[in-house]
Amino acid sequence: MSSAGPLDVPWGDYLPDLWDGLLRTVGFTAVSFVGAVILGLAVALLRLGRVRPTRILAAAYTELFKNVPLLAIIFVTYFGLASAGLRLGVFEAGCLSLVLFYAAYLSEIFRSAIKGVHHGQQEAASALGLGRIATFGHVILPQAVRIALPGTNTMLVDLLKSTSLLVTISAAELMSQGRLIASATFRALEVYIVIAVIYFALCYPLSQLLLWLERLIHAGVPLTPRRRRRVKMARALLAAGSPS
Amino acid sequence: MSAGSGVPSTRTAGNGNAAAAIDIPVVLVEHLSKSFDGRLVLDDVGLEVHRGNIVAIIGQSGGGKTTLMRCVNLLERPDAGSLTVAGEAVITNGRVVCPDLAKLRQTVGMVFQRFNLFPHLTAVENIMLAPTRAGVPEAEALDRAVTLLRRVRLAHRGMAYPEQMSGGEQQRVAIARALALRPSVLLFDEPTSSLDPESTGEVLRVMRELAEDGMTMILVTHELPFASEVADHVVFVDGGRILEQGRTRDVLDRPRNARTAAFIAGSAAH
Repeated sequence: MSSAGPLDVPWGDYLPDLWDGLLRTVGFTAVSFVGAVILGLAVALLRLGRVRPTRILAAAYTELFKNVPLLAIIFVTYFGLASAGLRLGVFEAGCLSLVLFYAAYLSEIFRSAIKGVHHGQQEAASALGLGRIATFGHVILPQAVRIALPGTNTMLVDLLKSTSLLVTISAAELMSQGRLIASATFRALEVYIVIAVIYFALCYPLSQLLLWLERLIHAGVPLTPRRRRRVKMARALLAAGSPS
Repeated sequence: MSAGSGVPSTRTAGNGNAAAAIDIPVVLVEHLSKSFDGRLVLDDVGLEVHRGNIVAIIGQSGGGKTTLMRCVNLLERPDAGSLTVAGEAVITNGRVVCPDLAKLRQTVGMVFQRFNLFPHLTAVENIMLAPTRAGVPEAEALDRAVTLLRRVRLAHRGMAYPEQMSGGEQQRVAIARALALRPSVLLFDEPTSSLDPESTGEVLRVMRELAEDGMTMILVTHELPFASEVADHVVFVDGGRILEQGRTRDVLDRPRNARTAAFIAGSAAH
């Protein structure tokens, strides 16, 4: 058995590849998460809607993609569609797979979060003359976001880790770069430990950041410049009239 | 008393506008009926509320009094009958004819039993939300919100979130929120039912002040002493029908209907 350690891998030579892989992983994660949130919210709203056919369609979508492995979806979108004449690039196929898969889970989180907002909130908004869109945007959604945040954050970290499955279509992300380096150096153990450490270095701070964001939102800290300005104005006006 | 008969006006606000001058009812309910799953909960009900009137709707739970009030701002849609608010036809023969429901609801403020404040907004933001959505500039809406908070003696709690406030404070913020759109009439759905005696006192004090200011109010309440003190008229609802209505002293002191008498006697015994 060789006594060679991690330093026997010429990491300096592979740093640009690892950096490219890291950027690609972050790219897959960001694009897929945004897409999954948009599609997931749309599916959740369709499932909560009044139109029965679209409700059924949305439910069928959720059940289908919740019960099929992500790897199967990746193969269908990349190899399957290509054999049917629709050839998607690696990035498009990878993102599409992740969006389809995670939108199903996110739609369930969003649906239960929206349903979790007390019915009285909708009534209070109606009684104040708010229309359906204003009620959703100003009353239901901000409260649903609070409920959905922990589950959504878990899904984001899970999605980041799942980009590693795109190694199967050589997506040039972190795991694909790791495989190439391992093939070139024959140091699989050291290489994949380093790759795992990089994933950990990405995921752990991300999950801590999301936890911090959750705490800020639950504490009611104003996050948008507009709300910060409004809160500042309100404080000043309330203080102006208070007895000294 | 016929179901559609009205409550005579005893008080008119001296604001000098045309509606007040000719005393058009702020709320006029005629022959209203409503069913839930085939069960009739309002049966040919009539109610007339004039500017500055305070009408207390009393009766046993499940008798239809809350449903009657919720029909006034269309949180419940009646199956039959007519409703006019501030001279505008809202429902005619069971059909909604009001083209702008949002505007109607800005005319009819509502205070709920469980407060229903928006938990993600501070007290001041809760009050500002409806005016800003209705097109009031933000600075003016804020000014209005702070003025209302002072009116309900909660200016020091303006930046608090609902979960940081007591039930009585939440209900007073809810009253301020309902007043923010300067409604013609304010509806109160058992506003003190969820409160302890001290908080009940705080809320009733604010309502008493609104009454002194000439605010038109319809309140569903179990607080007969309070109704007796502030209401001009009392409406007794039972089994989906108005069994008796009239001047407060007449209904509470000399009820003509046996059910009304039994209810008042039962409430007094508690």
